[in-house]
Amino acid sequence: MAATPIPLEVRNIKKRFGDTEVLKGLSLHAHKGDVITMIGASGSGKSTFLRCMNLLEQPDEGDLIVHGEEVRFKTTKRGREPADWKQVVRMRARLSMVFQSFNLWAHMTLLENIIEAPIYVLGKPKKDAIEHANALLERVGLSHRADAYPAQMSGGQQQRGAIARALAMDPEVMLFDEPTSALDPELVGDVLKVMHDLADEGRTMIVVTHEMGFARDVSSQVIYLHQGLIEESGAPADVLGNPQSPRLKQFLAPKY
Amino acid sequence: MEALINRLEALLAENSIFTLQTLSYYGEGLSTTVQLVFISLLIGLVAAVPLAIGRGSKRRFIKWPIFAYTYVFRGTPLLIQLYLIYYGVVFVDGIQETWLWVLLKEPFVPALVAFTLNTAAYTTEIFHGAIKATPKGEIEAARAYGMSPALTLRRIVLPSAFRRALPAYGNEVIFMLHASAIASVVTIMDLTGAARFVYARFYAPFDAFLFVAAIYLCLTFAILYLFRYLEKKLLAHLQPMT
Amino acid sequence: MLDLHGYGPRLLEGAGVTITLALLALALAIVLGLITASAKMSRSWLAHRIATFYTTVIRGVPDLVLMMLLFFGGQIGVNVITDFLYYEFDIDIFININAFVAGVVTIGLIFGAYMGETFRGAFMAVDQGQVEAGKAYGMSDALVFRRIRFPLMMRHALPGLSNNWMVLLKTTALVSVIGLSDMVRVAAEASKATREPFVFMMTVAVIYLLIASVSEWIFARLQKRYNIGYGEAD
Repeated sequence: MAATPIPLEVRNIKKRFGDTEVLKGLSLHAHKGDVITMIGASGSGKSTFLRCMNLLEQPDEGDLIVHGEEVRFKTTKRGREPADWKQVVRMRARLSMVFQSFNLWAHMTLLENIIEAPIYVLGKPKKDAIEHANALLERVGLSHRADAYPAQMSGGQQQRGAIARALAMDPEVMLFDEPTSALDPELVGDVLKVMHDLADEGRTMIVVTHEMGFARDVSSQVIYLHQGLIEESGAPADVLGNPQSPRLKQFLAPKY
Repeated sequence: MEALINRLEALLAENSIFTLQTLSYYGEGLSTTVQLVFISLLIGLVAAVPLAIGRGSKRRFIKWPIFAYTYVFRGTPLLIQLYLIYYGVVFVDGIQETWLWVLLKEPFVPALVAFTLNTAAYTTEIFHGAIKATPKGEIEAARAYGMSPALTLRRIVLPSAFRRALPAYGNEVIFMLHASAIASVVTIMDLTGAARFVYARFYAPFDAFLFVAAIYLCLTFAILYLFRYLEKKLLAHLQPMT
Repeated sequence: MLDLHGYGPRLLEGAGVTITLALLALALAIVLGLITASAKMSRSWLAHRIATFYTTVIRGVPDLVLMMLLFFGGQIGVNVITDFLYYEFDIDIFININAFVAGVVTIGLIFGAYMGETFRGAFMAVDQGQVEAGKAYGMSDALVFRRIRFPLMMRHALPGLSNNWMVLLKTTALVSVIGLSDMVRVAAEASKATREPFVFMMTVAVIYLLIASVSEWIFARLQKRYNIGYGEAD
């Protein structure tokens, strides 16, 4: 029997916006159960890199292999595009993203937000989707807000709801794009705790964050990005505890 | 019922203008106005959805013709559009001999066509604006969860755009009700037509037009309250909980 | 080539009537709008009530009905007054309400109500701190209005004003119904006489679009002027 394919492999991704090359060839392997944290100053390309992983941005070069399946690209006059959008849909359903600004659908209740993609993308029966959603709401501590609209919830609740929405897809890899950056400081803790629990149960996660504590305690690998390149990468104890490059040292130095 | 009519007749006997006869003109006028406005709004609404989607298309050969259509129909008076379609049809050579004439000799159909084209143009722009105002992040989230563009449009963009468009669409409905008064210009006996008839017959402009103005005012308020109710129900999600 | 069957000059005259009528009505509407806005913001209960009644009724009744009420009813009203003057005081005057005046007055009245809402919103949007700063430097109320409140208000009012003007321009077509020879009436007559409605209605439509485009350009320039000190930065 062949070994289970690794959930996500990214090879030599390059991306330019106009004249500036923002990603200069980045690679990453996420094995099952890995928690990979990406840190770096703003403008280092960490969010763009994450968005390339589920093709919210189209990489100009590089390969993307999701669950052993390589995404095919073609070149058109507009640039490089996925050759088969059906494949992209299939692949996106395996990777689910949690956004910095939550991006819950404003015209749906929290429960409706959670069951939407499972029903219409995965084709799950509505009854099962609701059952699953209720269990997830329980997990993130939001059972009492199932019928609330996003505008009626606090930022922290919205983000925990968004995590439940991502979990409802039974994703192979979860992508987190600065999930706590838009939150008031006192609400950050609840969200981090949910993420901590997910890591403990063996979820594969790729997290772009500024929370050094989370990176240190939870991740299996820390990647420090600088100007579109991986400057340092490795176990948190090494990267955060014993930084080699002067830039990372400066980045980690206390600001106050 | 019998008694009610008797009472009404007694009341009406005291004045010479508002007889049962003239009131029945207003009644028929009301029915014509409501039909004209309702049917044109309905067809216009249905047509506006694909038009609004096309209006936001990236393809120029889809986007530009729709823009030209809305630009012309929103930039010129409805009266001209009505004349163009009404006279345009009447003066087509040989049309009087065809079966179409049965439909078209009544001014109702040309007026309906003009009103529909007009309201479709305005509604297209209203929806287009509402679609454009969809928060980018919500569309991105849909894409990130594997929704196809068509599914995203159907499940995320349109439902939220329709709700956002509601207040502006309410204004459009009232606008159409008021604009429909010009149907009387091409001899349609709508509400205003009835008022003009009563005015001409009795030379009583105040009675004839104030009465009809009051009816329009009531209709306007009815529409206003209907939309306020709809907004309260459908826009609840935008209200932060207090 | 476009053949207007000799109606060209009359169409141009009609266009002149449309534009004059629209501009006069606009002037009246702005004056009424400013008055309505002040009434709505005033502390006087009565002024507030009257202004609200005015805007509600006007915006609830079709333009055409109001126009006919004023045109047909106005003459009777005027006759009653002149008759009264003649019998009681032996003053013999005759005032004929012509379609042009009725048109200007009705359209001005209608859009005064819309302008009132536009101006009220714009006045409310003015930063109160800047008004206070004017007062603090010893400016009189009139001076504060002229030099500070009005220019600041115009920035907020212009988009609504421009929108109202575009609707007003199209509303002028209705005066053709009460017998005024604006360009729509000329075109309607020409259409019937020559049996070529397409040519004439399209010509008039193009003229309307032309006037609208020119107005748009003017409003864009005005907006730029009143936007000084705002925007651009982002």
